[in-house]
Amino acid sequence: MDAFYASIEQVDNPEYRGRPVIVGAQPGSRGVVSACSYEARSFGVHSAMPISEAFSLCRSGIFVPVRMHRYQEVSRLIMRIFDDFTPLKFQISIDEAFLDMTGTDKLFGTPKKTAEKLKASIREETGLTASVGIAPNRLLAKIASDHNKPDGLVEIKKGTEIDFLDTIRLKDIWGLGKKTLKTLQDYNITTVKQLRTLDLPTLQQLTGKSGGAFLYNASRGIDPGMYSGERKTKSISSETTFSTDTKDKESIKHILLDLSDQIMFRLTEHGYKSKTIFIKIRYTDFTTMTAQTTLPHPVRTTDEIFTTALGLFEKKWDGVSSLRLVGLGVSSVEVKKLPDQIQLFMDTEDQKSKVEKAVFSLRAKGSRVTKASLLNKEARFNR
Amino acid sequence: MKFTCNKDLIIKEISIAQEIISSRNSISILSNVLLEADGNTLTIRATDLKVGFETKIPVDSTHSGSTTVYCDKFLSILRSLPDGDIEFSYLDDNRLMIKPLFNKIDFKLKSINADKYPELQNISDDKYFQIPQKEFIDMISQTIFSVSDDETRYYMNGVYLEHENNTLSMVATDGRRLSFMKTPSNAENVTFDPVIIPTKILQLIRKLSTGEGNLSLAVNENNIFIKFNNQKLFSNLIKGQFPNYKRVIPETQEYTVEVQRVALIEALKRVSLLVEQKSRRIFITFLENTIILSSEESEIGIAKEEVSCSFIGPETTIALNYLYLVEPLRVIDDDTIIIKFTEANKAITLVPTTDKGYFHIVMPMQLD
Repeated sequence: MDAFYASIEQVDNPEYRGRPVIVGAQPGSRGVVSACSYEARSFGVHSAMPISEAFSLCRSGIFVPVRMHRYQEVSRLIMRIFDDFTPLKFQISIDEAFLDMTGTDKLFGTPKKTAEKLKASIREETGLTASVGIAPNRLLAKIASDHNKPDGLVEIKKGTEIDFLDTIRLKDIWGLGKKTLKTLQDYNITTVKQLRTLDLPTLQQLTGKSGGAFLYNASRGIDPGMYSGERKTKSISSETTFSTDTKDKESIKHILLDLSDQIMFRLTEHGYKSKTIFIKIRYTDFTTMTAQTTLPHPVRTTDEIFTTALGLFEKKWDGVSSLRLVGLGVSSVEVKKLPDQIQLFMDTEDQKSKVEKAVFSLRAKGSRVTKASLLNKEARFNR
Repeated sequence: MKFTCNKDLIIKEISIAQEIISSRNSISILSNVLLEADGNTLTIRATDLKVGFETKIPVDSTHSGSTTVYCDKFLSILRSLPDGDIEFSYLDDNRLMIKPLFNKIDFKLKSINADKYPELQNISDDKYFQIPQKEFIDMISQTIFSVSDDETRYYMNGVYLEHENNTLSMVATDGRRLSFMKTPSNAENVTFDPVIIPTKILQLIRKLSTGEGNLSLAVNENNIFIKFNNQKLFSNLIKGQFPNYKRVIPETQEYTVEVQRVALIEALKRVSLLVEQKSRRIFITFLENTIILSSEESEIGIAKEEVSCSFIGPETTIALNYLYLVEPLRVIDDDTIIIKFTEANKAITLVPTTDKGYFHIVMPMQLD
């Protein structure tokens, strides 16, 4: 999707259209830009930029808060549209997915025709534009989709992979990060073509075993198989920066509960399991600490995450210094569904888990059911 | 205090004491073992406050008295000494001298005064009742492996002991499987509410028991007490509500399968090699007079084995955690066992062919 968060704001608020929209913290606070519209990008604003900098670059910008709830709602709608096209969908982020269209030409026509239909469906149902890349594999499809944003449609036909790759910059290769780019530059490799002249052992010597293999394959248009199966999420986490530093335990507890709720929702939504819970705290002076613990069984409820996280927090926090940020997450997330063991007894945690699953599934359908103690936050969201 | 004692005799008791003493890093009076010589008897005591141990051994004592020493080092010293008799004497400077007879070795261990040592929990003698050691050990062995190690379900971290209608029974469960054994009790006048016993004390009982004669048992609200000949143990109990286990014991089950116990264990061991190690799911299929054990097809491969049995009924496949099969099979004391089941998502029961008062219930896993 193109400038996903900002575009949703422009659809929901027609008066924002054609104007620089910056989603994130409010100017004057000290958060960062989460996303911005293409109009804002022309001012030099980009995501992760401190909001103060964005404001000085683009004083005419419309600064709006993040409405994650709404973006997730739109995301689910788009993912459902994808489902109408193929059951073989691999969602890789809130606004990106791979669709395996192998063998669907009888149904939808040529790949290009299919992509046009897909874009039209998305536009019709959400008012948003999407950029589509068509290619024989995922690596190239991703590169192609980024090639002509916004509202792009780029097809790399079988047999033309190398020709296409030679037209793009090294840094456009998906998965090739800043550090590798710098390493390659140090060895005077600045184009994809140059990269392809090096054999596998040499590349591995320069950039390590797996890095070398990746470069060798990617420069030849071969998918290194990063997303060749299910997505392997290692951890799920979320964090909150306080608007002003705080040492008020009640408000910190409140944030921890909110984060626990978010994490449990995401675990439940995907059917993932995790036994390991970690917290992160950052003091005013940016000293950052983490702590983690592993339970004997996968977490079942928000309460369980919250109680565990609170225990970790109480051990880690000195109790007197102000905090700038708290974060919470689960790691070693098991994405493969393990067969369920039938229980002899239902304990209270299992019962709570059942109730919570029901609540979460309502929420996933757009309902605003939430914990009473988190109601204030919901009110803030819908302001 | 001064006494002489044979090395092996005292090591045996001190090593039990050391097992009880809390292994925490900080050293305190609880890291010490109490020694008390009185006449020709040495009393040894150890406790971590949750579990306590007292034993009496015969010694040659010339001066009565008592003291406490750091048990860990005391045991290491005793183990290092040559075989034979050792003389222990309490010196005026608060130290215990350990000196093997006819050797030029002497250790002086700092001590803490015995009156600082915590009292052990006690119960009056008339509360004790007798039970054959073998019966009690069997009960422990048949149940202890089913205890949950999930500390958040602390009330399943021990074995449930119940005494009603002249029957003593033990139950253990981790919420997915359950083991039960009962034995007739002739302690007619003894009554106590059911209690949950931590596994540490049960393992100690198993270790101390000779398997012959009786042991004495007493239970009150907070503790369990056990007496062997010259050894006494106590342990705190787990406070909590044990699940209503009677409700989950199947009243009747549709089908029974009789099979050689060892043959089934061996087959399980082989097939489990290729079972997915996280879920440990194995498939057990009952056909006419045949059991088929199989693993899931994985990246590594697949395993399948047939075991003959006596069974007549519809073909049924049940998915189970193989450990939940192997563990009870290991302790069932019979050549042949009976597996009872009704259908794929209901509990199965494992019992010896001849009734011995125990059974094991296992909940299946999802088939797909």
